Amino acid sequence: MNKYHIKAYFDEAYPPVPGKSTLFWRKFVPWQFIRFIILNVKMMRIVVGGHS
Amino acid sequence: MAKVVVLGAGVSGHTCASFLKKKLGKKHEVVVVTPNSYYQWIPSNIWVGVGQMKIDDVRFELKKVYDRWGIVYKQAKALEIHPEGDASTGRGFVTIEYTDADNAGTRENVEYDYLVNATGPKLNFEATEGLGPDQNSYSVCTYSHAAHAWEHLQESIKKMQAGEKQRFLIGTGHAMATCQGAAFEYILNIAHEISTRGLSKMAQITWISNEYELGDFGMGGAFIKRGGYITPTKVFTESLLAEYGINWIRRAGVYKVEEGKAHYETLDGEDHVQEFDFAMLIPAFSGVGMTAFDREGNDITDTLFAPNKFMKVDGDYSQKPFEDWSADDWPSTYQNPTYGNIYAVGIAFAPPHAISKPMTSEKGRAIFPTPPRTGMPSGVMGKITALNIAERIHGATEHAHKASMSRMGAACIVSGGFGSFTGLGASMTVFPVVPDWDKYPEWGRDMKYSVGEAGLAGHWLKVLLHYLFFHKAKGYPFWWLIPE
Repeated sequence: MNKYHIKAYFDEAYPPVPGKSTLFWRKFVPWQFIRFIILNVKMMRIVVGGHS
Repeated sequence: MAKVVVLGAGVSGHTCASFLKKKLGKKHEVVVVTPNSYYQWIPSNIWVGVGQMKIDDVRFELKKVYDRWGIVYKQAKALEIHPEGDASTGRGFVTIEYTDADNAGTRENVEYDYLVNATGPKLNFEATEGLGPDQNSYSVCTYSHAAHAWEHLQESIKKMQAGEKQRFLIGTGHAMATCQGAAFEYILNIAHEISTRGLSKMAQITWISNEYELGDFGMGGAFIKRGGYITPTKVFTESLLAEYGINWIRRAGVYKVEEGKAHYETLDGEDHVQEFDFAMLIPAFSGVGMTAFDREGNDITDTLFAPNKFMKVDGDYSQKPFEDWSADDWPSTYQNPTYGNIYAVGIAFAPPHAISKPMTSEKGRAIFPTPPRTGMPSGVMGKITALNIAERIHGATEHAHKASMSRMGAACIVSGGFGSFTGLGASMTVFPVVPDWDKYPEWGRDMKYSVGEAGLAGHWLKVLLHYLFFHKAKGYPFWWLIPE
């Protein structure tokens, strides 16, 4: 039991964690620049809708 | 000439005062009463708390800005509201006490035609034995608290570098605390800083929260579209914590903090102790504790304020079970129902009820988050209240502008680490803030507007917002074009 870290039977073992490709795309600047533009647009939709 | 007095110069009060002056011009008087000499952009305090920003990066002196705008600035705290005046005047007034070095302790009655209460919260450390920066835990609720936390975080970092393991405990320091988001940002930033120094194996980092499930954030959780699925924020939040190697304790009401020990009760009624070397725990919030008197001097505090000392506005405060709560319970104009020339915005207004489902432990302790009213909703409330008051002064008889938290969305960027190319921000949007299960029976909110995404872009956006909101708050050119 001490030799291996058993990834089960405790809360922290169950959520999804990002794999290598997700981690790469999260920090890949050209892609993140595109996401930055998209996020800005999505946020603005919320902001404009907030002023009823 | 009308006189509008704004109590408080945080996000809500400062936004309100700025738009009041813009709309009313020199013909009318706008007065701001605040015990602080600085405006602070609270969302960036997190970065002060991990040494990525200095105190002066997140604050500026209010007087310079108010002098330029023509707003009368009084560095003082409000003590009493006399909405009917007294024997000597029929005009409402506020009794204030100056806090600046030259006039400290001096009292003054400031008359008003309209009053906006934007006093924010009292950081109620006393509600938890041993909690707070003067006792056994740290805080990031103000820039000075955050700088203090950073001083001590550096000590822990040095100990880890010297080979001594450290235990970090971050989260809520009271069974009914709110502002989980700020604590969540702080724990991710601490983990990021530890990781970038190659010290992750020397740290045991634990999140402690009064939420029933993580990702509740005091708004009953939310659902977001992610990876082709509709996913609860519980999964989104737990995923980030798991990625950063952080353990968690949920459904926990911290009731006592000793040196290196946090005592908490969980919903199942069991008592536990969590040991730590460094703890940042958010306190409970309450109203600042102003009192109110009628013309004859009778105490009418209960008429103006709810028992938690937040001000009553146009919400439905009738007691009813969770199942009967409605989006329509939430206020939209923030006008006091008894005195029509008084408004309360931001954290200062009394929510009609929690957003998260109330939970009580087997021993009877209420353990659930109270509703958040910070950030974007606070700014929007401040703005629409300014517009409504300005229009009333110009002759309008009804409120044209409304901003119920059950009709407005919120955009939130959770910092997960600072760095132009190494940082991370988790961007989340929900619409509306308060779920409307009648209008959106499936998910409680409009899924078209839901966002949940982590990446470098979120960090850039949070940094951009820091500078944009400073531009706006300082009243630089075209400041009014920047939305709340």
